Amino acid sequence: MSAFALACRNLVRQRRRSILMIAVVTFGFAAFALAGGFIAQSFEGLKEGTIKSVGDLQVVDRRAVGKAEETTLEFGLPDAKRARAVVASDPGVASVLPRIDFVGLATTGSKSVPFLGVGVDPGPEAAATFAPELIVAGRYLQGDGGDDVVLGTGLAAALNVKPGQRVTMLATTPDGSLNAVDGIVAGLADVRIKELNDRYVAAGVGLVSRLLQSGETVSKLVVFLKPGSNESRTADAIAKSIEAAGYPVVVRHWKELATFYEQVKLLYIGIFGFVGAVLVVIVILSAAIVMTMAVAERTREVGTLRAIGTRPSGILRMFLVEGVVIALSGCVAGTVSLWSVFYRSAPEALPPAPSE
Amino acid sequence: MAAPALVEATGLARSYRLGESVVPAVRGVSLAIAAGDFVALKGPSGSGKTTLLNLLGLLDRPDSGVVRVEGRDGETLSEDERSDLRRDRFGFVFQTFNLIPVLSAEENVAYPMALTGASAAVRRERSQQLLASVGLADKLAVRPDLLSGGQRQRVAIARALANGPSLVFADEPTANLDSRTAEDILDLMRAINAERGVAFLFATHDALVVSRARRVVTLHDGAVVSDVAA
Repeated sequence: MSAFALACRNLVRQRRRSILMIAVVTFGFAAFALAGGFIAQSFEGLKEGTIKSVGDLQVVDRRAVGKAEETTLEFGLPDAKRARAVVASDPGVASVLPRIDFVGLATTGSKSVPFLGVGVDPGPEAAATFAPELIVAGRYLQGDGGDDVVLGTGLAAALNVKPGQRVTMLATTPDGSLNAVDGIVAGLADVRIKELNDRYVAAGVGLVSRLLQSGETVSKLVVFLKPGSNESRTADAIAKSIEAAGYPVVVRHWKELATFYEQVKLLYIGIFGFVGAVLVVIVILSAAIVMTMAVAERTREVGTLRAIGTRPSGILRMFLVEGVVIALSGCVAGTVSLWSVFYRSAPEALPPAPSE
Repeated sequence: MAAPALVEATGLARSYRLGESVVPAVRGVSLAIAAGDFVALKGPSGSGKTTLLNLLGLLDRPDSGVVRVEGRDGETLSEDERSDLRRDRFGFVFQTFNLIPVLSAEENVAYPMALTGASAAVRRERSQQLLASVGLADKLAVRPDLLSGGQRQRVAIARALANGPSLVFADEPTANLDSRTAEDILDLMRAINAERGVAFLFATHDALVVSRARRVVTLHDGAVVSDVAA
């Protein structure tokens, strides 16, 4: 008679207690696995959302690190088309998106509202980011963007404009003069953060360059990597090739740019870690109580086994094997429960964390 | 010349704490059990019979005194060595039979042999022989809860003999049996004693057991008051 077979017979004999124990382990395992899966998916969603917003890497002027621009495109990358081609030549790169960050005033004549604008290359931007998914009215930018602009819903409400209407954007050029261009509202976007919704403007780099009189200069290049590419290796390769091309830049990783990612992650780990610890303590205590009762009720059996020559380690092994059988049964039952009950209720991806 | 002692106790004392007071169960007992003995340890309830049996069988440790098993001092042995000694040299029969409920009669008898590492074939053959010798050849696969009290005690005796012990300790082996069955069990034990030379030490206050013993040791308040050949 093997220890496993003896354990199974004892568990069958103490049917009610065994079922209770297995139920405790099943619940604990399912709860822990569910929480663990939720955390993992949340982190993955947070990471994906962040990368879709800021890219895997960003190529920026060295002076832009840790400093804010005092004038528009003060730390811009000139001759962006060439820089973009250099970066895009790396085999690990999927796409390179130019972006121009700018500020100004949007007006319809009767009312002016300050805005935070971003100039983009609409086609690659739509393919690589969430931007088109944020549109709640009208459409996203198309082609080279032309004169189209996308406004945040809050900004559109403040200006009282709808898709198809005109809006004038005023901004200060890098040399300090004031310039204005007219844009046509192509769509309205809900960027999920109210403060940003009230100020958000997106337009093609062509229109923004005309507004800023900035030629081929952009604020940064946002780099998206091919699946499976090594982030660090690709970053190093890009840094070398673009420096060799004469650009005084740095390559920044998405984690450096997602200012809240680590904080959100730590917060989640703290919350789920605490809940998990409580869960573990409850499961361990429950198991300990039931096992202690089981041992106490079998004192005579233990005494008999000791009398006929079973070593103390043999007694311990007998109860351990029973515990292992219960634990494995509970884990299997927990896995089956998860698959059958919780599998369909996977959490949605989190919105992207605020980032630079 | 007297047979050498299988188990020899000298000056054994054992007491239990009961609340604030200390109750002496065994007080300065010296006793020797020789090969082939058939000894009844009698006395009223609370006289220390079971405590003395546990001490002699290395199930408990004395507060003072020495138990020697075939010349080896029990106190100098580790728990594993004491377990091995019980497994190889002793057998135990209890008042409530104490069979393992999830094992069949055959498996119960085979269990002590499994502890020695005996092969499955050897265990099966020997346990079947032992059960046949106690009249249970047709009950091999039956679980203890489906056996009568007498049958359970026979299985317990067969189990006690599994590893060929020198001495079987029997604590009130007939207390839960009717008189007819008790006589049968005692006949069986006497036969085993006679045929195999296995010594028996009974803790009992059953007059029937005492009447069948060849030596009667009387305990009173934890002390031996008489030790006579019947």
